[in-house]
Amino acid sequence: MNSHIKIHETSEFWVLLPLFLVIIPHFPRLPSWVVVLLPVFFIWRLMTIKQPGLSPGKLLLVCIALLSISGIFLHYGTIFGRTAGTSLLCTLLGIKLLESNQQRDYMLLITLATFIIVTNFLFSQSIITVIYMLLMVILLTVSMISINQGNTVVPLKSRFKLASALVAQALPFMLILFVLFPRIPGALWQLPDDKNAAITGLSDTMSPGNISRLVQSDAIAFRVKFDTDIPEQHKLYWRGLILWYFNGQEWSQGNPNQTRQATLEAFSHRVEYTVTLEPHNKKWLFALDMPGKHAEDIIYDNNYLLRSKKTIESIHQYSLESYLNYRIGHSLSRWEQDAGLSLPVNSNTKTIALGEKWRNSFKNPEEIINHALQHFNRENFIYSMEPPLTPGFDPVDTFLFDTRKGFCEHYASSFTLLMRAAGIPARVVLGYQGGTLNPLNNYMTIRQGDAHAWSEVWLNNRGWVRIDPTAAIAPERIELNLNAALHQNDARPLYMHFNNGLLKQIRFYWDAIDNSWKQWVIAYDASIQKELLSSIINKKINYHDIIVMLIFSISIVAFTITLLITKPLVFSKQDPAQKLYIKFCQKMARKGLVKAAHEGPQDFAYRAEKEFPEKKSTIEFFIKLYINSHYRSRHNIEQINKMKKLIRNL
Amino acid sequence: MSEGLPLIPRPIARIIERWADKRLAKPEHKTTLIRQRIYILPTRHGIIFCIMLLLILTGSINYENSAGYLLTFLLTGIGFLGMIHTHQNLNHLTLDAIAAKPVYAGQCAKFPVRISRENNKEHFNVVLQSRLSEKTSFNLFKNESESITDIPLTSKTRGMLQLGKIKVFTEFPLGLFHAWSWVEIDSRCLIYPAPESHLQPLKLSGENAGNKKVEVNGNDDFTSIRDYQKGDSPGQLAWKAIARSGKLQSKLFTGEAGNEIWLRWDDLAYHINTEQRLSILCHWILECDHKGLNYGLDIPGKIIQPASGLHHKNDTLKALALFSPVKHEQPYKNT
Repeated sequence: MNSHIKIHETSEFWVLLPLFLVIIPHFPRLPSWVVVLLPVFFIWRLMTIKQPGLSPGKLLLVCIALLSISGIFLHYGTIFGRTAGTSLLCTLLGIKLLESNQQRDYMLLITLATFIIVTNFLFSQSIITVIYMLLMVILLTVSMISINQGNTVVPLKSRFKLASALVAQALPFMLILFVLFPRIPGALWQLPDDKNAAITGLSDTMSPGNISRLVQSDAIAFRVKFDTDIPEQHKLYWRGLILWYFNGQEWSQGNPNQTRQATLEAFSHRVEYTVTLEPHNKKWLFALDMPGKHAEDIIYDNNYLLRSKKTIESIHQYSLESYLNYRIGHSLSRWEQDAGLSLPVNSNTKTIALGEKWRNSFKNPEEIINHALQHFNRENFIYSMEPPLTPGFDPVDTFLFDTRKGFCEHYASSFTLLMRAAGIPARVVLGYQGGTLNPLNNYMTIRQGDAHAWSEVWLNNRGWVRIDPTAAIAPERIELNLNAALHQNDARPLYMHFNNGLLKQIRFYWDAIDNSWKQWVIAYDASIQKELLSSIINKKINYHDIIVMLIFSISIVAFTITLLITKPLVFSKQDPAQKLYIKFCQKMARKGLVKAAHEGPQDFAYRAEKEFPEKKSTIEFFIKLYINSHYRSRHNIEQINKMKKLIRNL
Repeated sequence: MSEGLPLIPRPIARIIERWADKRLAKPEHKTTLIRQRIYILPTRHGIIFCIMLLLILTGSINYENSAGYLLTFLLTGIGFLGMIHTHQNLNHLTLDAIAAKPVYAGQCAKFPVRISRENNKEHFNVVLQSRLSEKTSFNLFKNESESITDIPLTSKTRGMLQLGKIKVFTEFPLGLFHAWSWVEIDSRCLIYPAPESHLQPLKLSGENAGNKKVEVNGNDDFTSIRDYQKGDSPGQLAWKAIARSGKLQSKLFTGEAGNEIWLRWDDLAYHINTEQRLSILCHWILECDHKGLNYGLDIPGKIIQPASGLHHKNDTLKALALFSPVKHEQPYKNT
């Protein structure tokens, strides 16, 4: 109806501000030319407030729009997908902004801004992001109010108050709908493949330097809640991937093992726990060495590795049982025999020669393994996060015979290669080792900094056995953590410097808050919803029940809030003059003059004046104002204020 | 209503209006907007908002994005509350008509409406609009007991102009909903005929045929000065005398000293039609009043004895405004 109304000049800034603020978190993800262009659009738009002559013409706008869209298309090769789509939305917002000066245009811009908020959530759902976006919603509500205030200017304070009230009143709706809106498991359509999505995490290959780079990150890989006793630190090996194939420089998975798995023989109590995995855009799941029972939606790989049926793009929870003492791989298949003994061709010849030498000089595999571990221990090997580079075609040779300074991937790689050369089937395992227990909530946090690589060797009668060569050179890494294992003067990632005393405590608190947020909000899905609601009504729940609960609760909330808004509580509706009169009577009563039930204000005032002649004029004036205000219904704030002053003087 | 309702095709809007008319209270001096008579529908922006909610909900479901769900549901709540607040922006407002000042036909009549409410709630950007008028909006801030807004209505013909049914509507605060109510406040404005000076000028001597001959030669030709009386026209003020004596004094002209002018319907040329006659008489009244003359009005059905002053002017103009030709046609023809 008021679509053609221009909005008030003084309000324009408050309409433009949230539009800019919603795109700021996207800046690191946008192409650099878009990052430069967007502030230019906003400054241009701000200048047109004072000088409308500067606004661009239709033709120029169309040119800018076409150029920008083709620019995005050239940059990404598409205009769909997560980052390309986001860039497109942000650019469109900037262009639309330039030609906006009417209410209708601004309503469209606010809609665009809302979509941009949603795209933010595709990249981050952290508590900080969500709080920031909540503030943005308040600001956007202020914008909507500013747009709809008509010709007059509603004071900014009133607009903010109203917007905050609207958002605050909407929170109960949000809560009820969030908990009770029936969640549908599984996606409706597939996420367009987005190559630009960079998430720190393990990759499915290993070459020198890539784990030591990964541990620089403080990002959380997953969290674990143990239902049984927490195992000792040095037994916390979280298996993720097995690398069979080595080309001389890089380890990779090779062809997946086709051999059917043997059953797991458990020799110890089981450990029960729930893992909350951060999205890593891969299918693999991490499990404590060695997982037994598992849920139906998890695929059990042939090497006792767990795989999800779909890519982990959002936070994912799964419960597992593991055994710390076990035996797997009772017999070795032909495929495993071949892959576990295969050597790279024409590279790292010195290492292979050393392995072959050991094969001939020791009686059994156990002795070879021990000798290898002692070799690392005795020969001045150093554990370091910043090992010298090992370029060339023989990185293992360079490390073993030359630099002798390495991180877990160097040790796992060289040890596995030595074992293969010595005739022992061996493979590299990638995963995490250790974790930090938060004493506040008993959750264990496993960060990228806990990333680790170790080996598994196959021994007769014992099957696949875990050997961690890092433990031989730097036992503190396994017993405690990476920080303890590094040499005093060795370079450390930044986060390790802030990990003591008060800061450590703050980190625990923050971690606990972050964890609750992830467990209760981000991870909330169809299965958790079913579980939660079933526990409330004490029976197995189905969609029909959820919808009934939803309609019931939302009606109650809507009714209550509407009632609170439309019918303010009784005491606030009372005439302020009446309140002051009651106060007056109370004051008189305290002085010994009690109003009789039949007495009107005028009669009571006469009596009071006689009793306290020195206050005659004050009482007289007060009663006069009261009668004026209450009985002649002349509400006037000045009168009320005067009455307040008078009563204070009494 | 000139604008109709948002998103509703005109014929359906008309049906709704007819239905609402039946629920309309009898014209009163004072009307309070109550829930039963406030209607509310989403605006175009409201529908767009709703579609946007559906889109981000589908997105949230697809990507199993909890933060997306939170945003969707928060905005759903905000949309719902926008509806409640829009409705509340009208609810319990009391509209009450104040006497409108008479205007001449063709001028813009202003119908002042006093808006008040019982509690101290704030109301912003509430729009008033009558069938033919422009939109006018008002705000009621905290501690402001009332607000007076003029509804402008262009008067076409003389007579009594009724304000008629007005639409009170608002889309504040979010513009997602359009809440409105039709009210009929009993407010009328007297419309005088438009003064017409060219067809037949006032002749103050001779054939103007007062009972006595009138001699008015000009403003300077006054006979005496007396103290200012209420009702004397500003043109009558004796400025020199005021400057000398320091109190308000008026000039008395020759014509006034006892002479009277009759402004008669029958003095006008026969070919002039009724409305033109009234317009000419109107102009004459204004001229006489300006000169401070004693003038009487003689029109079919109404004779006003000569006098002067503001009240007299208003009385004579009102007689012209409310002149009803049908009633007086018969006796007029007979003469």
